[in-house]
Amino acid sequence: MRVTSSMMMRSTLRDLSQGLSKLQESQTKLTTGKEITRPSANPSATASAMNMRQDLRRADQRLRSLNDAQGWLQTADATLTSSLDSLARAKEVVVRAANTGAIGDPVARNALAAEIRSIRSELLALGNSAYRERSIFNGTANGGAYDAAGTYVGNGASIIRDVAPSTSVAINLTGPEIFGTAGAGAGDVLEVLDRLATAVSAGDNAAMAVEHSNLDAATARLGAATVEIGTRSARLEEAKSRAEDSKLLLTTQLSEVEDVDIVEALIRVKAQESSYQASLQVAAKILPLSLLDYLR
Amino acid sequence: MANLSSLNTAFSGLNSQRRVLDVTAHNIANARTEGYHRQRADLQSLGRSAVSGVFSGTSQSYGVDVAGVSRAYDELLASRAIREESARHASGMTATSMATVEGIFPEPSDLGLAHAMDVFWSSFSDLANDPGSLSARTQLLENAQTLTTSLNRTSGELQAVADSARNRMNTLAAEVNDLADQIGNLNRTISSSFGTNLDLLDQRDVLMGQMADLTGAVARTGENGTLDVYINGRAVVSNTIVQRVDGTTGTLTWQSDSAPVNPASGDAQALTAVITDVVPRYRAMLDGVAAALVTGVNTLHSAGYDQTGTTGRNFFDPANLTAASISLSVDVAGQPANIAAGAPVLPGPTAPGALDGEQARLMAALADSPTGADTSYQSLITTLAVETRAANNRAAIQERVADSAVRDADSVGSVSIDEEMANLMAAQRAFEANARVITAIDEMLGFLIERTGVVGR
Repeated sequence: MRVTSSMMMRSTLRDLSQGLSKLQESQTKLTTGKEITRPSANPSATASAMNMRQDLRRADQRLRSLNDAQGWLQTADATLTSSLDSLARAKEVVVRAANTGAIGDPVARNALAAEIRSIRSELLALGNSAYRERSIFNGTANGGAYDAAGTYVGNGASIIRDVAPSTSVAINLTGPEIFGTAGAGAGDVLEVLDRLATAVSAGDNAAMAVEHSNLDAATARLGAATVEIGTRSARLEEAKSRAEDSKLLLTTQLSEVEDVDIVEALIRVKAQESSYQASLQVAAKILPLSLLDYLR
Repeated sequence: MANLSSLNTAFSGLNSQRRVLDVTAHNIANARTEGYHRQRADLQSLGRSAVSGVFSGTSQSYGVDVAGVSRAYDELLASRAIREESARHASGMTATSMATVEGIFPEPSDLGLAHAMDVFWSSFSDLANDPGSLSARTQLLENAQTLTTSLNRTSGELQAVADSARNRMNTLAAEVNDLADQIGNLNRTISSSFGTNLDLLDQRDVLMGQMADLTGAVARTGENGTLDVYINGRAVVSNTIVQRVDGTTGTLTWQSDSAPVNPASGDAQALTAVITDVVPRYRAMLDGVAAALVTGVNTLHSAGYDQTGTTGRNFFDPANLTAASISLSVDVAGQPANIAAGAPVLPGPTAPGALDGEQARLMAALADSPTGADTSYQSLITTLAVETRAANNRAAIQERVADSAVRDADSVGSVSIDEEMANLMAAQRAFEANARVITAIDEMLGFLIERTGVVGR
């Protein structure tokens, strides 16, 4: 093939510019630290990177929801434990009222009845416990769970949190679920305590015995609620650690797909750099060659 | 008188070598001229007297003559180079346009629409966690506003790509008309001039190459050395008659009957594809994303209840279903309290508690919907990535093909300085040798004149 200097000039320039553009591409990858600088660089990696980023943000969001839910459940758990303590104290008071000479002493009876009433208001306050300024036992209603008279003013709705992809858990128990339903059967625990205070102050042993067993039932209900909350808390804990695991895994995978392998990239840049230098040197040697230099 | 005829022979040699030197000088001067094909003087020997001499008589005489000057031009290689160059322009322009479109979608990153959508869904989740919080509601509206603005802007940027392609098409039409005029003028000059002016042919070929780069035009040789130029089978230049094209509508049309030109290659083909296919297609896909967003969110939102128990409100304006127009509805824009986070209580439906966040949770779950906005957006990005990559690959391949076609054509036509130097030396030597012949004959004649007829003197 006939080769002329202008052809050589052109092909040398093209090769040089190709070498330079490769070098620039590697440089961009190194400086940004990203393997995928634009979607077309690797369409399938782009698709999986987008998926992973989405999953990662989901996991983040889920962790945020889980933390919130756990705070909620911890508050509930603490409240229920305190309620159980209060009920145990109420039972002690009943036993004291029945067994000691208090029956005959109206002052002592009234003092015991007052103690029971204070336990009732303790429980009422516990029933109105709030997490981040929101009542935890009133369903989805606004305000508190119980009004000052002890009437339940919440609703029966459950509050649901997503804990894993397409898995959700109700995180709340309503007032009736922990304290019992007012007006039905023995009534809720506040009613039981009301009646108990009356029975104690009246010295009515038979009524005290009935309410004592009602208190046992209420304690059992609260205990069951505590276990329920504990179980849900454990589920959340497990979901949380799984979400954290998957977040870590996703971060690693995303980095594998998206991020530049620095060592490899550096070696690549070095190789391209030296090949570019080589072509520059060759060009510098070959291009100025001309017959003119040898003719006199 | 053989001696005197040799004088003429040498004289013809001097003349011819001077012509050769002229042509060589012309080649060297034009070594870097675009489209120039090297020329050579075709020498031919003469079996008769080149210059009628008084003394030559009837005897056989010799000599050399320049039969003509021709250019090193291979029509097959040249037309292939023009065709591949115009395909290079088409694929290069396509790749550039695709890269521009791709640049509008900064994925995967925290700057793109995918992130804006994720943040949007995430704020529904936050609202579900805390339906009573005004800040969660305000945050949601802010993020929704960011998302709609991003969609509006992206759609606008796509349209801007088409608009700039339209502008380019307009100037391209003017360039095509100008080139056609110049080719027509050259046709007139070439067909009316006596003999062949090689440099005019080169000039016309350059113009033809530019025409092909723009429109994928092909050339056919006409009468009297004219060149007819056709775009997609219809003549744009026929002898000296020029058909004008128009690009004001964004597509190339013939001015005479407004029929579309449908350029087969070149910049115009790529621009047409951008205007009529690439941009409308991606805008439609983006509109699909916006529509999925609007209908998906609105369906759930209008069934939901706000804290005061009001229902039936849209979140996005249901009339604005395109990416360019998507906006918040007048019901919720600027009124965070009107966001319906609560789910209807069934049967009924009746309003839920004021702090119910169930509907917000369901809206957050739209993010994972297989027919939702995220899925359509991802498929848009994947399509764009694959298409851009294919366009880049085609451009890279065509680059090589065109390079090799141009190199092949160059290998015939381009000027080699070394070669011209050698020619120069050869011509110079030949000139000197012819001069020496004249000197020799001169000496012989001198010998005859000076030294003869002096016998016995």
